[in-house]
Amino acid sequence: MITIKHLSHEFEIGKKGSKSIIPVLKDVSLEVKKGEIVTIVGRSGSGKSTLLNLVSGFIRPKKGEISINGVQTSTLNESKFADFRIEHLGFIFQSFQLIPSMTAYQNVELPLILKGVKESERRKRTAEILELVGLLDYQDHYPGELSGGQQQRVSIARALIVNPPIILADEPTGSLDSDTEDDLLKFIKKLNEELGITFLIITHDEKVARIGHRTIELRDGRVLEEVYGYEA
Amino acid sequence: MKLKDQFRFVQQNMKKNKTRLFMTILATAMSVAFLIVLASVGFGLHKSIVKETLERRIVTEIEVPGKEIESGGFSVLTDKDITFFEKIEDVKAVTRRKNLQDYSFEVDTHQTYAQAVVANMPAEIAAGLELAAGRLPEKGNEILVGYHFVENLRPAAENGEEVYDEQGNIKEEFRFKEDLIGKKVTMNVLKLEEGKELTESLELTIVGIRKQPTKEWVYDPLVFVSEDVLKKVEAFTGTPRGMMKDSNNADTDPLSIPADQYDHVKIYANDMESVKAITTELEANNYPSYSVINELKDVNVMFTIVKAGLIFIGTIAILIASIGIYNTMTMAVTERAPDIGIMKAIGANPGTIKKIFLLESSYIGLIGAAIGTIVAYAISFIVNFGLPLIIKQAFGEEPPEGLMFSHIPLSLPVISFVICYFVTILSGLRPAQRATKVDVLQAMRREV
Ligand SMILES: Nc1ncnc2c1ncn2[C@@H]1O[C@H](COP(=O)(O)OP(=O)(O)OP(=O)(O)O)[C@@H](O)[C@H]1O
Ligand SMILES: [Mg+2]
Repeated sequence: MITIKHLSHEFEIGKKGSKSIIPVLKDVSLEVKKGEIVTIVGRSGSGKSTLLNLVSGFIRPKKGEISINGVQTSTLNESKFADFRIEHLGFIFQSFQLIPSMTAYQNVELPLILKGVKESERRKRTAEILELVGLLDYQDHYPGELSGGQQQRVSIARALIVNPPIILADEPTGSLDSDTEDDLLKFIKKLNEELGITFLIITHDEKVARIGHRTIELRDGRVLEEVYGYEA
Repeated sequence: MKLKDQFRFVQQNMKKNKTRLFMTILATAMSVAFLIVLASVGFGLHKSIVKETLERRIVTEIEVPGKEIESGGFSVLTDKDITFFEKIEDVKAVTRRKNLQDYSFEVDTHQTYAQAVVANMPAEIAAGLELAAGRLPEKGNEILVGYHFVENLRPAAENGEEVYDEQGNIKEEFRFKEDLIGKKVTMNVLKLEEGKELTESLELTIVGIRKQPTKEWVYDPLVFVSEDVLKKVEAFTGTPRGMMKDSNNADTDPLSIPADQYDHVKIYANDMESVKAITTELEANNYPSYSVINELKDVNVMFTIVKAGLIFIGTIAILIASIGIYNTMTMAVTERAPDIGIMKAIGANPGTIKKIFLLESSYIGLIGAAIGTIVAYAISFIVNFGLPLIIKQAFGEEPPEGLMFSHIPLSLPVISFVICYFVTILSGLRPAQRATKVDVLQAMRREV
């Protein structure tokens, strides 16, 4: 589903003259299979977020290849990547990233609007998804009027609405308390089992890491080890 | 993203800062109103002048003064030229007249001075001559007088002063009141011989009166006489067209002017549209010509330049207003950067984002243009209605009737809409471009 080959990335900081180069990822290769939950752990600064941002297309790799669902995404231009993203990738962010001026309903509906889906179909689908995440009663609330857990569920609903085969999550439980975190993890598992959605989750929380069929540890920009079957 | 959704999106976004939006639209509306009102003055004056010109002259009339000859100068037109004119496409009639002098005409006890003219009757009729009374002349001594001929008849015996009223018209009681048809008329032809004035009287009969000219201001006291009369006059005076001999033309020989030369030739076109083609054809054959259409061409060229200049000045106003739009859009992009970042993260196409912002700026432009147009129409109405009153108050003088200070043809709002739309797109382009460049990660970080 996701294949990463010899991926290297470095950041340049500072202005001309006093430029310094920070190597972050060094020759990373890994694969995520269809229907898998893969978690990535590692110390702060080890390059986890950078790796996920590269897969998401928010930043472009300096070296190496990424292909998702058989598409060489590392060579797509910005516009093509946007179209690809809306079809194939759902996102869950640590800080939810909801649009504050839109209600829960409107936030969830947004990807369908961007895709150009008909209004009647949008209404049906949005209601379905809100039902699924248990927020139908809160659809007219603005993000500021929802709890952290509720906001995260809105953002999950928004990720799910286009039926993406893959969901990418960067510290999805980072802003949630322990109970809400448990709920979320259960929900992720349910989505994985019932809908066959592939997950690539970044975390530094062991409890989260454990839900993965596989866990990959990054250290200093390299794949340190793969641990199979926490579950098993 | 569907257009309808884009619109809804833009409308939602625009609600976020209503005061700023209002001020921007206000500035745009003012600039558009300024453009339209300014240019409408050019359009109004142009229209007034064209209207006046068309009212004062017959549009299908083309006057041909002569033919250019190789040695320079003009040759007088003859039957050969007339035949050529008549063959040109869309020519309705070619009137040709020979002008005699002003003579005194006596009818019973009344008398007047009027010019005698030899006209080609079939041509005059084809050109639209109609009779108010009587019939066309048939014999050599029969004449056709103009509608205003009778108005100038005054008692021959009366003292000049008393006959006329203050306006210079003949007083009611002195007017000629009998029917002119069938009246005997004495035409007095003068000549000078050895310093003495000799008179010959020709006895003629009025058989018809021409209809009042359709244009009110046309004055028609002319007397149409026959070729016979012309011959008699020339035989008596010994000069062409019965000219009085003086030191300038002492030895003019009547035979030096061929019988088929005309002093006054006018071509009448079938319609206004064919005038241009006819004058072009004339020009190609060395006939200069005058027509209202040609005259208007120069007026039109001048006013086109004036109008273009006014529109240009108005466009500058819109350009100034567009700075406001640019500013508004730039601020909108900055404010909404986090939202844009989120949308891009989800998978909004940069093209869509650009379109949304362009839509927003053109929305501002078009609403501004619409309001500006309405205001301009109102101002134009007030100016046309109010300015004559003010002029009358201030200078005690009536402005010329039918003068239009401001006229807004449909093309003017259309032009200003196009200009306004173009300018707003232009000013929205950079902010919209900036919106597509918003960095997802940076924008989302700002949210935290
Ligand atoms: N835009 C950037 N410009 C320069 N350096 C960057 C940029 N983004 C990340 N880095 C650097 O890259 C390294 C890896 O950062 P990254 O965010 O991937 O770490 P992480 O594993 O996600 O850490 P955390 O667990 O704290 O989120 C860090 O040293 C960071 O300073
Ligand atoms: Mg991170």
